[in-house]
Amino acid sequence: MMRGETARYLASRLVTSLLIVLGAMLLLFALSALVPGDPAATLLGPQASPEFARQFIREMGLDRPLHERLWIFLANVLTGNLGVDVLSGRPVAGMVLSVIPYTFILTFAAIGLAVLLGVPLGVFAATHRGSIADHVLAFISVAFIAVPSFVVAILLLLVFSIWLDWLPVLGGGEPGDWADQAKRLILPTVALSLGWIGFIARLVRSSMLEVMAEPHIRTLRAYGISERLVTYKYALKNACIPTIALLGLGIGRLLGGAVLVEIVFARPGLGRLIYDALSVRNFPVVQGAVLVVVVLFVVVNLLVDLSYSAIDPRMRQAQRYARDGGAG
Amino acid sequence: MSIAFDRRRLLAGTAAAGLAGLAGPARQAGAQSAPRQNIAVRVERDPEIIDPGYRTGPHDGNIIRVVYQRLIRHKPNSGEMELDAAAELNQVSPTVIEFRLKPGQMFTDGFGEMTAEDVKFSFERIGLEPPQGVRPAPYRGDWAGLERVEVTGQYTGRIVLSRPNAGLMQIAIGDVSGCIVSKKAVEQRGTEHNTRPVGSGPYTLASLERQRGAVLRANPGYTGAKPAFSEVAVRFIPDHRATELALRSGELDFAVLPPNVAEPLRNVQGLTVSAQPGLQYIWLGLNMEKPPLNDIRVRQAIRLALDVDQMLVAGYNGRAPRLNTLIPSPIEGHWPEAPVYRRNVAEARRLLNEAGARNLRLKLLVLNQPAFQNMALVARALLQEVGITVEVDARDGGGFWSAGRGDAGRDIEMYMTVFNGKLDPNFLMQWFVSSQIGTWNWQRFASPEFDRLFEQAAAELDPAKRRELVIRAQQVMDESAAFVWLTNNVSLIAHRSWLRPASVPGWLDWQYDAFAVA
Repeated sequence: MMRGETARYLASRLVTSLLIVLGAMLLLFALSALVPGDPAATLLGPQASPEFARQFIREMGLDRPLHERLWIFLANVLTGNLGVDVLSGRPVAGMVLSVIPYTFILTFAAIGLAVLLGVPLGVFAATHRGSIADHVLAFISVAFIAVPSFVVAILLLLVFSIWLDWLPVLGGGEPGDWADQAKRLILPTVALSLGWIGFIARLVRSSMLEVMAEPHIRTLRAYGISERLVTYKYALKNACIPTIALLGLGIGRLLGGAVLVEIVFARPGLGRLIYDALSVRNFPVVQGAVLVVVVLFVVVNLLVDLSYSAIDPRMRQAQRYARDGGAG
Repeated sequence: MSIAFDRRRLLAGTAAAGLAGLAGPARQAGAQSAPRQNIAVRVERDPEIIDPGYRTGPHDGNIIRVVYQRLIRHKPNSGEMELDAAAELNQVSPTVIEFRLKPGQMFTDGFGEMTAEDVKFSFERIGLEPPQGVRPAPYRGDWAGLERVEVTGQYTGRIVLSRPNAGLMQIAIGDVSGCIVSKKAVEQRGTEHNTRPVGSGPYTLASLERQRGAVLRANPGYTGAKPAFSEVAVRFIPDHRATELALRSGELDFAVLPPNVAEPLRNVQGLTVSAQPGLQYIWLGLNMEKPPLNDIRVRQAIRLALDVDQMLVAGYNGRAPRLNTLIPSPIEGHWPEAPVYRRNVAEARRLLNEAGARNLRLKLLVLNQPAFQNMALVARALLQEVGITVEVDARDGGGFWSAGRGDAGRDIEMYMTVFNGKLDPNFLMQWFVSSQIGTWNWQRFASPEFDRLFEQAAAELDPAKRRELVIRAQQVMDESAAFVWLTNNVSLIAHRSWLRPASVPGWLDWQYDAFAVA
């Protein structure tokens, strides 16, 4: 019974996810048709002869109607072909694959650090509600959220790379040299994670306070369960549920949206690939890379949704309730 | 006004504020002051195609010139030429050039010895009409007039032109379009040759990675003078401020930077900053077809209402030299007596009154880069004084570079732009002929006399006669009042003090193989 429910839920979520991807690609194609700028002229400047520009446009497929371009693109995607960068002749899939490890590492490191610091800070603030520490943490959290990540990035570079000379400035590190790659990951990770630390700390604090006021916590206290156990075993588990949803959004957003930090640190990444390609109107690369970001975003959020219902029994109950039309 | 709030400006402002605060304790680059076997240089655009036929700009060209050989090449830091792959190169008539290759010049990856057949293939694939279905080379214009290349022996051949081309040595044979590829390698590797090139030059391409740049490694099989550095990392760093920090930290050895970013590096121990006028040309153009600019008096009034020196102070902190005509002094055909227009508000107003142009509203199209936006703001204020209200339309490269193409170009009123130059006058003049209207001649400057002078200068091999033709062509441009020349730009280079960079004059075409220890 339960297995059937899960399969149905999974199928409906997969269909929804597919529609989201299709919708996003349709929107992207429509927008790319509206963006002004001739790719040949943008890429090559005055050297783009009219004959070259015509050939270029033809190879990009920009001389075809929008629906035809979308259809060809999707048909190619189904065969695993994300298209070809008409400029260099390189497959877009290869270009995406070459940068995606950097994006994954940075995203998960940043979110991991944010969870590692944000959750304890939120719990501490909630358990010390109204104290000076709570006010200080509130100030710090809001400051972290408010300061743009690229500003943090530059300040970190100035302090840790120039002033103290502890860490390198540029790039993602030499391929195969893990120590070098790890060193070059530290500052971008910190720059990206600060805002999320603030978010998570505030969210966990408010969730904890909400949960701590619930009747079952009062009951646990009445049974004489220690405050530590109440806080960390029973309250925190429930308070973390909204945080998991936030993490899904966070990971999805960072996969394609860490572009400013990637630029400041001259670090390869999906966001920068899209930004660079868009700035020169290299549409095949934009389309292929955006598709990957959209798919990753949808997959991550699907996993989060599934884990959400696995963690929270109320979700399973709600699904069953919805299926049975409220009949219990 | 529609000046966009630009990320780069915000970034620059923030970094400047941060730097000001930390200038005191900031680590100096002295720790990196010892010469090394490998260097790291910065490029502003991702290297894309290391094939001379399909390169995307000077950033590719700088790598291509060291991966391949040419028949002749520029001497380090000079506009003069010297033999490279050729043992002999003779212009036997205005339309025939004979060459003889040095024997024993080997292509990398086992593709054998360079022969005259490779030369023929390399030049014709760029200069001639491509076969059906093959993409034309974007730089085909470099080989204007090429009819064929004849192979007369294993190492000898003749370049045959349909008409004389005075710029052929500078623009094609001695530059990127003259780089010699291995016919066998190109045919075998296809598009892969774009990123896995086979050359015979002083460096080989060890790696080319998206968003990381390229690594050049000294070619052990190169028969010419060995480069001073065994490895050159060509790093793609899009942000100027990140570049500055990398120079300070010692992770980078050489970079070209805008003046406002480079100037503070003068005080950094172990770094040297130097300036030189570039070979780019920057001007404000007026669309001669669009009313009211189709009245020459309105164009003359605008030229007199502007103060070029004041605009340059705003755009380049006054570091960029003023340009008064198209051809700058290092290039044949420079017009030293070109008029230097000074601001004359009274005369500008008189001309506008005479033309019956009152309460004019004009749009000024610019790139959304700080230098252009600052100059546009000054131009707007200056023109306001003579009764012209200017709306500044700042666009990113994608929106800007296509604005003047086709029929859309008819709607342009004023615009400010930058083109890259080469050491040949016809290369600079080519964008202003009538046939370029709707392509790159955004002034829609249509002068049969200019077109004729351009053609004559291209075919004139006598330097003195060619100079006269080019100067007269610039006078025709000046008479149209459609051009307000601004500057050749200024390049500030920041590099380790122990490093001696090299480039063809103009500091666009870097000669990485001639970089040396000072």
